[in-house]
Amino acid sequence: MSVAQTLPLIVITPMFGAALLVGAGRRLPRFAAETLGCLFAAGAAVLALLALAATGSSAGQPAEWVGGWRPHNGVSVGIVLVGDRTGLGLATLVSLLVLAALAYAWRYFAEPPRRHAGSFPALVLLFQAGMCGFTLTGDLFNAFVFFELMGVVAYALTGYRVEEARAVQGALVFGVVNSLGGYTTLLGIGLLYAHTGELGFAQIGNALAGSPGTPDALLIAGFTLVVTGLLVKAAAVPFHFWLADAHAVAPTPVCMLMSGVMVELGLYGAARVYWTVFAGPGGMPAADAHRALLALGVLTAVLGTLMCWQQRHLKRLLAYSTVAHAGLFLMGLAVLSPAGVGGVAVYVLGHAGVKAALFACVGILLDRFASVDEHQLHGRGRELPWVGALFGAGGLALAGLPPFGTALGKAVTEEAVGGWATALFVLVSAVTGGAVLRAGARVFLGLGTRPADAGRHPADETAGEEEPETRGGPLSRIPDTMLTVPAVLLAAALAVGLVPGLRTGIGQAADAFTDHAGYLAAVLHGRAAEPVPTPPPHWTASGVLWGLVATALAAGLALWTVRRPVRDDVARWTVPLRRMHSGHVGDYIAWFLAGVTLLGALIA
Amino acid sequence: MTMRLRMWVLALGGLGVAVLYVLACLDLPSFGGHRHPYGDRAVRAALARHTANTISSVNFDQRALDTLGEESILFGSVLGTVVLLRQTRDEDRQQPEPARVAPSVRRYALFALPVTLLIGLYIVAHGQLSPGGGFQGGVVVATSLHLLYIAVDYRALERIRPLGLYEVADAAGEAAYVLVGAAALPAGWAFLGNFLPYGTFNTLASGGTVPLLNAAIGVEVAAGVVVLLARFLDQAVEIVSTDEEAEGRA
Repeated sequence: MSVAQTLPLIVITPMFGAALLVGAGRRLPRFAAETLGCLFAAGAAVLALLALAATGSSAGQPAEWVGGWRPHNGVSVGIVLVGDRTGLGLATLVSLLVLAALAYAWRYFAEPPRRHAGSFPALVLLFQAGMCGFTLTGDLFNAFVFFELMGVVAYALTGYRVEEARAVQGALVFGVVNSLGGYTTLLGIGLLYAHTGELGFAQIGNALAGSPGTPDALLIAGFTLVVTGLLVKAAAVPFHFWLADAHAVAPTPVCMLMSGVMVELGLYGAARVYWTVFAGPGGMPAADAHRALLALGVLTAVLGTLMCWQQRHLKRLLAYSTVAHAGLFLMGLAVLSPAGVGGVAVYVLGHAGVKAALFACVGILLDRFASVDEHQLHGRGRELPWVGALFGAGGLALAGLPPFGTALGKAVTEEAVGGWATALFVLVSAVTGGAVLRAGARVFLGLGTRPADAGRHPADETAGEEEPETRGGPLSRIPDTMLTVPAVLLAAALAVGLVPGLRTGIGQAADAFTDHAGYLAAVLHGRAAEPVPTPPPHWTASGVLWGLVATALAAGLALWTVRRPVRDDVARWTVPLRRMHSGHVGDYIAWFLAGVTLLGALIA
Repeated sequence: MTMRLRMWVLALGGLGVAVLYVLACLDLPSFGGHRHPYGDRAVRAALARHTANTISSVNFDQRALDTLGEESILFGSVLGTVVLLRQTRDEDRQQPEPARVAPSVRRYALFALPVTLLIGLYIVAHGQLSPGGGFQGGVVVATSLHLLYIAVDYRALERIRPLGLYEVADAAGEAAYVLVGAAALPAGWAFLGNFLPYGTFNTLASGGTVPLLNAAIGVEVAAGVVVLLARFLDQAVEIVSTDEEAEGRA
């Protein structure tokens, strides 16, 4: 069986697993259902890894025409799956992270619905299938279908704890904003189809090359609308509002998947669409795309950082740190060069491990103490030294401590963006990492004075008293799986920075990813062309230095803050920002429309 | 946010999107043109595979992977609904009361039920020949069963609606699509390849795998919609929160 033939199997393995779990759900005991879920997730991971290993050189872009509708003279009616290294690498990351989330939820997770033991793993498997399909497809409409699949399942998973009104509210906001993004994308696909009569990435790109020149309004609108939906998933400002509301209420394993990889897939989609469809002649001028993505990236990074620092609800804190990092990723992609893509790829891999591990630690706190509030938990984490160590290591890694993968990714990306960006990257890393370290110092070390309102029930939106997710109330003992998963994830994030082979592979993947003509030739004519090689991501002295500076700043910021008395009132300048994040879905939609306008204006 | 600011953001944003979209639409190819690159190719491909209904050929042959994704979206939505509308700890289930139905309504619904069921099955079975197919027919079949709720009452509907069976059918429809697609692999075809004989044009047994995939969708949609509606109806008719119950007794 060739590499190309395994591509559909990566998508259908978890799909079939989900069908099996639902079909047999009434008879399966819980243990069997969870084992089956892990097996199917692992099966897809193995297939993706094997395919990745078999894709030898960077020029290898195995393309599988589903149903055998191979193109004749570059023309086909079918859908193609493309197993280039970036797509396959992301499918591998998705599958491994799903496996980690399922292992984390292993046996501890609150009772599934009566007689539906398999429903949680089945939903997670469908989530996996949607994400893997999205990474592998080479067709714009097919990408939309898988985008919707991962959306629909994610809404249900977010609202999983329906007993709480907030879970329903968070899932509803998530569903409404992301569905609106999906429709926008569909509208854009419609425009592009009307213009070119094609739906495949490569085919549209090929058709656009027939009419070179400055893009007309249709093309600008098509690009804006398609990218909007993807940027909603990527939580770019001002489409980011759903993210914190959803993360605050979603079960911990789901947060691990959403922050670890789903948000990043939105960015991947935007970059993939740009490079395959719009980067050639007749597409979008690089300067316009660069300006739009860079502006949104900076806005996202700054706003995410400001909001992150102010949170005391730990899940919200981590959620806004994801927003901030998504902004940095967007800035890296906006460079529109192999160096930028390679740096972001390393950064995303490292971030996935670190962020998922941090969420896993917060989940343990939630299930032990029935709270995720930094002030209420003050000093109570001292009985969990291992969790504290992992949480602290995660905070340092988030701040960019070498040799974590996050540090390498940050260094390469900031160098690719260049100039003033280094300062912004250092500041964003320092403040988001510092916020995590500050929370860790208070919760696990009990540093600083115990906040006066620690005992009472604060009514404002930042407080974090929650129901534990475990069956039978708070845990008395932490299960080994819940502790092993974050440790393994952090080790993986460390390995991303240390394994040289991975860096070379990512460098080659980025070269192929940014090779518009090579992609079209490989998909439409089956011709493999070696892209122009560029140096792969690597450590530099300045990168290490800036990483250390960011880490030192983060630690200093955290220590300085915990030594000061906790203030009850919030700082005046933050009030307008907080008011923007109202939880009111109507507000989010108003900002959404303003965002589409802003994006269109930046591109035009 | 204040109402005023909200309205300003909404108005400016909405105006911008409207301008963008109208400008784009002005650049669209004019109505009634003769250039249909995909349409022409799709019709040719459908005829080559002896599928009279080109739309079914696009759905179940040329772009069958899209349909697998769409089927999975429905499957995931139904599963999500089962999870979200479950009976929670603070809810109880009550037997619904028998209801009185006006005789004319009852006569109409009992007459319409078998007719609707037959039409639904017909639409599924002829998907490869005439407009329709598994998605459309499946919904009609599911609707027909619910006419019993209108004709008699909820308890009557529950008797012909063993939910466990429908959940299995829902999953079986999803699995069947994957399996038919994978069955092409040993025959040397790509996944979802149309590996069966194409049959005689414009007869029930034409189109190769199209009728099979179509039937899988029909089963999944019919069963899925029944399960979906059951969850909503249960919430409306049977499930009450214990607070409400206590209030009702007091």
